[in-house]
Amino acid sequence: MSNEVMSILKKDYIYNLMLKGKREDGRTFDEIRDIDLRTNVIEKAEGSAWIKLGETEILVGVKLQVGTPFPDSPGEGVIITSMELNPIASPEFEAGPPKENAIEMARVTDRGIRESGAIDLSKLCITEGEEVWIIFIDIHVLNNSGNIQDASSLGAIAALLTATVPGKREGRGEDIPLPIRDMPISVTLVDIGGEVMVDPDLDEENVCDCRITIVSNQDGSISGMQKSGDGALTEEKLLQAVSMACQKASELRETHLLDI
Amino acid sequence: MEREIVIPGQLLSENKGDSGPGTYVKDGKVYSHLYGVKNAKNKISVIPFSGKYIPSPKDYVIGTVMELTPSNWIFDIGSPYDGLLHVSEYPKRVQSNIMAEFMDIGTSALLRIKDVNSSMKVELTMKERGLRSLTEGRIIKVTPAKVPRVIGHGGSMVSMLKKETNCEVFVGQNGRIWIRGKDSEMENLTEAIDLIIKHSHTSGLTDRISDFLRNDKDDVQMTENVSEEGIVDGTVDTDEVQEEAYRKMDALLDDDN
Amino acid sequence: MSDKPEKFIDENGLRLDGRRLNEIRPMKMEIGVLSRADGSCYLEWGKNKILAAVYGPRELHPRRLQKSDSALIRYRYNMAAFSVEDRIRPGPSRRSIEISKVSREAFEPVVMTQLYPGTVIDVFAEVLQADAGTRTAAINAASVALADAGIPMKGLIASCAVGKVDGQLVLDLDKPEDNYGDADIPMAMTSDGEITLLQMDGDVTQEEFKKAIEMCKEGCLQIFEIQKETLRQKFTKLDDVEISDDEDNVDISTLVENSLESSVDDEGEDSIVVEDTEDDPGQDIEVEEDQDIEIEDEADEDIGPEKEEFIPEAVDLDTDQEDAEDIEVSGDIDDPCLVDGDIAPEDDGRTA
Repeated sequence: MSNEVMSILKKDYIYNLMLKGKREDGRTFDEIRDIDLRTNVIEKAEGSAWIKLGETEILVGVKLQVGTPFPDSPGEGVIITSMELNPIASPEFEAGPPKENAIEMARVTDRGIRESGAIDLSKLCITEGEEVWIIFIDIHVLNNSGNIQDASSLGAIAALLTATVPGKREGRGEDIPLPIRDMPISVTLVDIGGEVMVDPDLDEENVCDCRITIVSNQDGSISGMQKSGDGALTEEKLLQAVSMACQKASELRETHLLDI
Repeated sequence: MEREIVIPGQLLSENKGDSGPGTYVKDGKVYSHLYGVKNAKNKISVIPFSGKYIPSPKDYVIGTVMELTPSNWIFDIGSPYDGLLHVSEYPKRVQSNIMAEFMDIGTSALLRIKDVNSSMKVELTMKERGLRSLTEGRIIKVTPAKVPRVIGHGGSMVSMLKKETNCEVFVGQNGRIWIRGKDSEMENLTEAIDLIIKHSHTSGLTDRISDFLRNDKDDVQMTENVSEEGIVDGTVDTDEVQEEAYRKMDALLDDDN
Repeated sequence: MSDKPEKFIDENGLRLDGRRLNEIRPMKMEIGVLSRADGSCYLEWGKNKILAAVYGPRELHPRRLQKSDSALIRYRYNMAAFSVEDRIRPGPSRRSIEISKVSREAFEPVVMTQLYPGTVIDVFAEVLQADAGTRTAAINAASVALADAGIPMKGLIASCAVGKVDGQLVLDLDKPEDNYGDADIPMAMTSDGEITLLQMDGDVTQEEFKKAIEMCKEGCLQIFEIQKETLRQKFTKLDDVEISDDEDNVDISTLVENSLESSVDDEGEDSIVVEDTEDDPGQDIEVEEDQDIEIEDEADEDIGPEKEEFIPEAVDLDTDQEDAEDIEVSGDIDDPCLVDGDIAPEDDGRTA
């Protein structure tokens, strides 16, 4: 993930902590860093959320425009999710078109929202086959201190929850809230020496063997998964990760999304 | 001693003879070119709050190998300029084809800067007692501008830290600090260094950190204790000379390589 | 999208948003907001929301871009896709590339790049929400972020625009004035009043332009005050810190939220709004050329050699430059056509 050379001392330190069931910042394996989530921070966007997960900071903006539907779904709105790993966010990020990491994370976020049916896309059809609402979810990473994936997906759903369909502005009827049916939440875990832990910080991401992201919904079903990184994952650890992720997701939903 | 925060472009003196480090002269007047604290001892200088480490000969630094070439280890020394350790500057004779067996990518080491040329090529050496590659302990990173604070008056802070925690401590001028000791002691020491950095601009720091390490940490309040020992003292007094001696002593005591 | 207002200035000489002709919009700043950056600043000015960060001086790749005698400054002005009414495509546009260029040049005269030969200083200015005057807002934030990063500068840079509406010059255009005004003149300057950025479009007379510079200078003086206050505040705040807390990190969210609350009444508690500046230290713009800047040579100072190690050294600019020239082998390291094979001498050690 990063170009920065990681000191072997640091790797050993994190590994040894793991053996003792500890993490560098004192968290337990199933503990997520503090979250600060604020919505409607960008008045010019139709919906927005600013999220701070530990030191990781992300701003998500939702814009809606009128456009043409995809030929295979003429009666449905369109979701377009993009992520910029902005050079402002880390010494490792470079300006330029999104690279594989950014694209992967944007697509995982996108799939979580799409496959869970979180947005009722059929209500976003204006004229079948001709005009539908296009939802742009733009994820602007401001400070990378690990686990951009979960911050992005939580930020995205929070921004969608606050979004308005700007019917008046576009001359397409009244302003209505974006029709949201579910709240998919991604939880990412890393495998370090055979132990899985949620919400990796930067160092943990750098030492981990691999990373697994699980997106789950209100009813506990899973709507997206992604394994990322060079290592392999045992079935046992994977199943453990899934159950941990679903439980954490429901806690996050409860704490951060229900009152939006 | 007054403690004044200055910003770039701020007029410091009408007399160009007062110009010290961190300042420049324009039209016979002295201005700051940094954001930091003004020090009016002898000449006027400005001690910055932040900034990158710029290598300078004889500095002790802690680096991590980022690359190997046929005859050099290239170290990241937390600076815009990488450091080169030529194979002949390693304490032992090393065949260049097996350099990685001695230090591979990711290995950290205590180093000294041998030379810096005008195009900022930085040559390192390990041929000095005490300098070695590190296999144990931890490295803490702090902003290089705050290193003098961690060292303290005449090395007072660092020696107190060592005494209170029974840890080995090596402070690199590049803002990397290596510590080794019992896990619990290293935890305390890490917290203490963290506090020093956070409160680096305040005075009476050594005593407060000492209290912090001795007592139940949560009870200690970092109440301000202005004046007696301004930040300015801590950074430019005789610390440096003595810290030099400290390192030499440490080097003599450490013979496990 | 609003239509053009009939009048921009009412009978009392007040503008649509109630400001006087020479009044800037409320501005507030906070520094050190990003943990990964070497220096950072969050700024709100009117409805503009800007986040600026500085990385560096740091190593520059590819090496052929390096300048052997100084640091390269890169400036990236970038707008978030959602920062404006109609979503814009992420990534650079012709507009953002031009703004980045002139903004970088606005800083060239003050950043002491000679101190860090061969490196790069990256300045990133992200427009999170745009509402007229983003390039000037970005410069004001970047200036503070550079100081926060510990980059040596001869002084801060402040920037604002003067425009013309209803035949009158106004300071710091808001959105309608920007959209429908007759002229827009963004400027940036040093505290001595030397102009480091100037653009203009529209139609003004020479007389008006002269007056515009003066108005702009007035605006910049107010901004300098806010910048200075922001920098000084960081450590007065820290003075009150108790050991058990760790609130040192500024929380952008708080800022954003505060802004929402206080966007109606302009002067929230933590916003620093300088209305008027009586005395005018930057008045004297007839300062002689930059050239006669001397930097004290420290060599024969009576500080012991060990002491130097801890003090950021004052550097003799001239000497430094000469040195650098001496070692320049191929004579043309800046030449972008240079292939990677024949590089500056400092590479020898690595490739040997």
